[in-house]
Amino acid sequence: MSDVKIPPGRVTPWHQTNWDWRAAGNFIGGGSGTGLLFFATLAAGSADAYRIMALVALAFIGGGLTCVWLEIGKPFRAINVFFHPHTSWMTREGMVAVPVFLCGLAAAWFGGGIFVGMAALLGIVFLYCQGRILQASKGIPAWREPKIVPLILSTGFVEGAGLAAVLSAVLPGEGPRWIAGVLLGALILRRIAWTMYFKAVEQSGLPKKAMDVLRPFGAKFEMLGQLAPEILIVAGIFYGAVLPGLTLVAGLVAAASGWWLKYTIVARAAYNQGYALPVLPVRGQGEVKPGIKPGWTK
Amino acid sequence: MAYHDARTGRLTMAAARNVKKVPQYCYQCVAGPDLLTVKVEDGVATEVEPNFSACSVHPGAGKCCVKAYGIIQKTYNPNRVLQPMKRTNPKKGRHEEPGFVPISWEEAFGIVAGKLNEVRARGLIDEVGYPRVAASFGGGGTPTYYMGTFPAFLSAWGPVDFSFGSGQGVKCYHSEHLYGELWHRAFTVSADTPSCEYMLSFGANSEASAGVAGTWRHGEARARGMKRVQLEPHISVTGAASAEWVPIKPKTDAAFLYGLIHVMLHEQPRTRLDVDFLKHHTGSPYLVGPHGFYLRDPATKKPLLWDAKRNAAVPFDTPDADPALEGSFTLDALEVGADGEEWLHQGIAADTSFSMLVAHMKPYTPEWADGICDIRPGTVRRIANEYLDHARIGETVEIEGVTLPFRPVAIALGKTVTNGWGGYECCWARTLIACLVGGLEVPGGTLGTTVRLNRPATSRQASVKKGEDGFMHFPMNPTAKGTWRKEPAVRNAHSTLVPLSANSPWSTALGPTHLAWMFRKQSPENWPKVTAPAIWFCYRTNPSISFWDTQAIVERVAEFPFIVAFAYTRDETNHMADVLLPECTDIESTQLLRVGGTKFMEQFWDHEGYVLRQPAVAPQGESKDFTDIATELAERTGLLREYNEAINRGAAGVVLSNHTWDFKLDPEKKHDAATIWDHACRAASAELTDGRETDGLDWYKEKGLRTRPISRLTWYLFPELKKQGIRFELPYQEQLLRIGIQLGRRLHENGIEWWNTQLTEYQALPPIKDFPGVWEKDTAAHGTLGDFPFWLITSRSMQYAWGSNVGIQLMDEVGSNLRGHGGVVINTQRAHELGIAEGDMVEVTSYLKSTRGPAILRQGIRPDTLLMIGQFDHWVTPYAKDMKAPSMNGLVPMNIALTDATGSAADLVRVGVKKLEAA
Amino acid sequence: MARYIMTVDLRRCIGCQTCTAACRHANATPPGVQWRKVLDIESGEFPDVRRSFVPVGCMHCANPPCMHVCPSTATYQRADGLVGIDYDLCIGCGYCAVACPYQARYIVHKREFAYGERPTEQEEARFDPKRMSAANKCTFCSDRVDYAKEHGLTPGVDPEVTPACVNSCIAGVLAFGDREDPNSNVSQLLAENQFFRMHEELGTDPGMYYIFDSK
Repeated sequence: MSDVKIPPGRVTPWHQTNWDWRAAGNFIGGGSGTGLLFFATLAAGSADAYRIMALVALAFIGGGLTCVWLEIGKPFRAINVFFHPHTSWMTREGMVAVPVFLCGLAAAWFGGGIFVGMAALLGIVFLYCQGRILQASKGIPAWREPKIVPLILSTGFVEGAGLAAVLSAVLPGEGPRWIAGVLLGALILRRIAWTMYFKAVEQSGLPKKAMDVLRPFGAKFEMLGQLAPEILIVAGIFYGAVLPGLTLVAGLVAAASGWWLKYTIVARAAYNQGYALPVLPVRGQGEVKPGIKPGWTK
Repeated sequence: MAYHDARTGRLTMAAARNVKKVPQYCYQCVAGPDLLTVKVEDGVATEVEPNFSACSVHPGAGKCCVKAYGIIQKTYNPNRVLQPMKRTNPKKGRHEEPGFVPISWEEAFGIVAGKLNEVRARGLIDEVGYPRVAASFGGGGTPTYYMGTFPAFLSAWGPVDFSFGSGQGVKCYHSEHLYGELWHRAFTVSADTPSCEYMLSFGANSEASAGVAGTWRHGEARARGMKRVQLEPHISVTGAASAEWVPIKPKTDAAFLYGLIHVMLHEQPRTRLDVDFLKHHTGSPYLVGPHGFYLRDPATKKPLLWDAKRNAAVPFDTPDADPALEGSFTLDALEVGADGEEWLHQGIAADTSFSMLVAHMKPYTPEWADGICDIRPGTVRRIANEYLDHARIGETVEIEGVTLPFRPVAIALGKTVTNGWGGYECCWARTLIACLVGGLEVPGGTLGTTVRLNRPATSRQASVKKGEDGFMHFPMNPTAKGTWRKEPAVRNAHSTLVPLSANSPWSTALGPTHLAWMFRKQSPENWPKVTAPAIWFCYRTNPSISFWDTQAIVERVAEFPFIVAFAYTRDETNHMADVLLPECTDIESTQLLRVGGTKFMEQFWDHEGYVLRQPAVAPQGESKDFTDIATELAERTGLLREYNEAINRGAAGVVLSNHTWDFKLDPEKKHDAATIWDHACRAASAELTDGRETDGLDWYKEKGLRTRPISRLTWYLFPELKKQGIRFELPYQEQLLRIGIQLGRRLHENGIEWWNTQLTEYQALPPIKDFPGVWEKDTAAHGTLGDFPFWLITSRSMQYAWGSNVGIQLMDEVGSNLRGHGGVVINTQRAHELGIAEGDMVEVTSYLKSTRGPAILRQGIRPDTLLMIGQFDHWVTPYAKDMKAPSMNGLVPMNIALTDATGSAADLVRVGVKKLEAA
Repeated sequence: MARYIMTVDLRRCIGCQTCTAACRHANATPPGVQWRKVLDIESGEFPDVRRSFVPVGCMHCANPPCMHVCPSTATYQRADGLVGIDYDLCIGCGYCAVACPYQARYIVHKREFAYGERPTEQEEARFDPKRMSAANKCTFCSDRVDYAKEHGLTPGVDPEVTPACVNSCIAGVLAFGDREDPNSNVSQLLAENQFFRMHEELGTDPGMYYIFDSK
């Protein structure tokens, strides 16, 4: 992690420097991994396929957590992360990560059974924690919007379903064709979540620079990250013969667009609150003048 | 490395065994002294704090300003010069590497004393008549507060030329210094801030320049509702803290002030003015003859006024007279002009000075002024009326049993307003407005702070002596035939060219200091040659950076044959030095300083006394206490006796004996710094306790300061004038008219015509001139005015003030929190029109030179104005040279055309700006 | 129980940064780490322009988001309202820094010095390795407040137990004291004047009160 350098004299929001691509990596790995862990239960065409999917999922989650470990200032004190379950979603994420791995490994070992379901459900809890981690970051307006939680959940589902669709196509055994429908459903959920999130931040206001990132991103994301995979799947449904191939492509695009989304929100739109004055002070005599909120959309 | 904090006993950082807080003062700018303590942990200075024990006696609650926090880094700055050095490259110049090599103190003293003795053998005065030894100190005299007993050495030496300025005249309140002392013993002028209710501030950047006392007083004033209107081309920190900002065009302040006077004289009834004050305490009723001089009683030659009671002209000091303020009267009288020329008038009609003023101000309507000043129509009239609304004509206040007028309105003028062309008119108008409402030198009103040209410097009141015409006597340099000093005694010729500069120890530095530099290159017609001094001492000054036309200054400095620089770090001036002497810095050496009374900028104390600066830490390297350096030089030049006697007389700040106590040094002995200051401390204790206490250095080291209460009445000069029956010499400037004519005659008699424009300033009632036009014409004479469409100005910064701390990282860091440092401030819309964005590198060019810096876009600046805060285009000074900041100093031409009659010019130049292509 | 707060009289502030420098001294922060600083905010368009100076830093919120998110419990809140950091617990994850809507927290991983690559004598003497890679911020000079309790002194009144920035302020802008004590200097100031708190809408219940006019 780079030093937290606060620009001298800065008043308008500036991009936070505490969490970089490594933090985004945790949200990407965590979202995709837990989503995959969940959808592997549906998409795996065989026990071995499940095993591989589960291990890939755990690798994603573990990779993400490794990114975090690499980012913290005192990595050899990492155990302290477990000290504050009362209010810290980071602690909770860490605490859930342990049974996720235990259950995930058990599920992979056994290739079925109760651990599969437990791993899937704990993964969702882990994913929920990640959403709440962002929401609790009150200093970053683009993160603290409550609708970021369904967005993080839904994109986790999209990424998981997308990866599941991809892996089921390449792994032993034939996965269910309706995984395409599941992916489409997840995409629709994410479309709704994104729309709600974006409208919410538009309404509540954002640092202009954050909005300058999110608005053009949103336009591209809705086309490439949403519409494109949706069309591919719908086309596949209409032309059944090409469905597996299109689902594979759609799955890749859907997963990648989720990564793109999270990288954008975590590492590019994370402008901080900046400073504001509700009113301007009187100087000796005169009237109180209306306040200012420099660098904000509203 | 954890330690137990001395205050709390808690484990926080490194283990400090020995912690103490050492009282000090900071006097890095004229707004000091600030009183502080330095925390020292195991011999290492770690923290500066206000001296809390002084909060009840210090006008700024015992606080210290941001600059004081730089002294710890200053002490430990690895870039310091820490041992004596000598130059090995005989060639001097910006591009000549001096080749300094370390030498011992013994060798350094040997070289310097040898040169001094050589000069002494040749004679103290050179073949032209100038002192062979010159010295320059920066920062408005503040180096004196750090140079220990060196002034005693200079006193012992004999004639020393302080002509070579480092910024005086162009970067000070020059006209205010001279005219302020003439009119109300006001070397600088301040509002009576604690009771003022309405204040106009023309570019007076008090929140940056008036130090802790000023900031504290203005903060209190704002909280109780004082309205301050700030008139300046950009919104300074003072403008920010004001109720209103009026973005006036540069150098048009006089027009605004004249507009105010017009409203007061021509649009409001006389009852809104303090008629009684004008009649009895100013020269308003004096009758003026046809040649422009006062009409006088032929027998006594006293100026006459018209007594309404007797319906006859009577001498001004007739006790029961009821002076007519206005009107034209017929009388027989004597008129005395320049050089004693006399006219005896019979039955002549004469106006009072006030009537002449009323007529004089008629053309200067608010509408005219709004247009000249380029401000919103109606502003001048509204502000004039607000001023009158707050003036409380007729009200009084009691201070220590004395009833005084209460006039809570004041006007402050800043730099560039009070120097250069237009400075006289602004100062005159400001002081006159105070008189119109009876608000000069009374509670709530416009006050002087200190005297430098009049004596004694310790008391404004004591400096008041009644002159023959009923005004305060002022020690003008003579202009009469036979007494005018044809041959300048020093190189800037202040006593020859500037009668108002008087002849006190400060006068040389208040002369036209740039003339010394200019005439070194080429003397003007019929002017003696200006020689280089054989030895030049410089300390806490860097004219190679801080003056105007700095390129020329560097060339002149390089011509000096022998330069001794007391050096903190290498810099652009000591780059040309022959010897560098490292003196102990602020918290490494000892000095006792007189404090209290009233001092510039807003140091109005209710106490007086002495404060000590002392070694908080051991000197770094081989740096030496300045007092010990001075003593050594005195001994090696055979001046020890004279030096000690000078100290005994008070040359180091304290008179060591009087009729009741005697702490004189043995003049034959060599004393170390501790002994000298111990004697000073004992004398100070005795002085403050009428001899009851004689505590010495150890006492002051522990306590830091000793004070005693003084009367609040010392803030106001009016009671003293009233007591002596003296009038303020306003509005009519008969004396200036006379000396101007006489000076002109003397110069012309000697074939000197190049000062003619300056002579036009000597007017009894000054008319408005096209002051911006002075700069425009000068620009047009050297180029095309259209190529230089902007006014370039500067502004004070509290973080840097006099700039001597520019190499301190902490100052750079905290200064960066304020927008404007290190760049070129330009109006946002104007920048957009020019395709300039925030942070773009731009080049600013005058007809002389150009400078570069990043653009800083601000709404709070006029579209026709650029601003550069700080003047830091250093090329040697460590740290500072890496700041790559722009500076206007090299862009401002140094010439006679831009020099006013007081010998000053302004920090102002016409420039063009262009965006530089990305590298 | 006490709640220590700071009042900031915006009518008085001139942006001189004396508090910034005093804080750098008192807390031995390295170059660029300003637990207290003063913002320079311009508003409006020429010629209707205002320029305001606003001291900022940790607001010692009653509902501190930094503390809630801290996974290690390094960030804690004292009974008297002060929010602190235990450098021995902090893992330097930066979560507190993104949770703070006042941009008050710093994390330094590499030592920096005023001059070049080597510390000055003073920097070396006051170097605290515990702060490296740990979050740090204004403490309201909590060691002084503790000392007050032990010695019967009053923070905000007695300078030796008053935060360095308050002590240093040359314009009477900053005051410190107990909001729960109706007779304290800060309670009196707030009773007599109008004030706001920054970003109050975020529910942080901040402990810096900005005075903008009299009542």
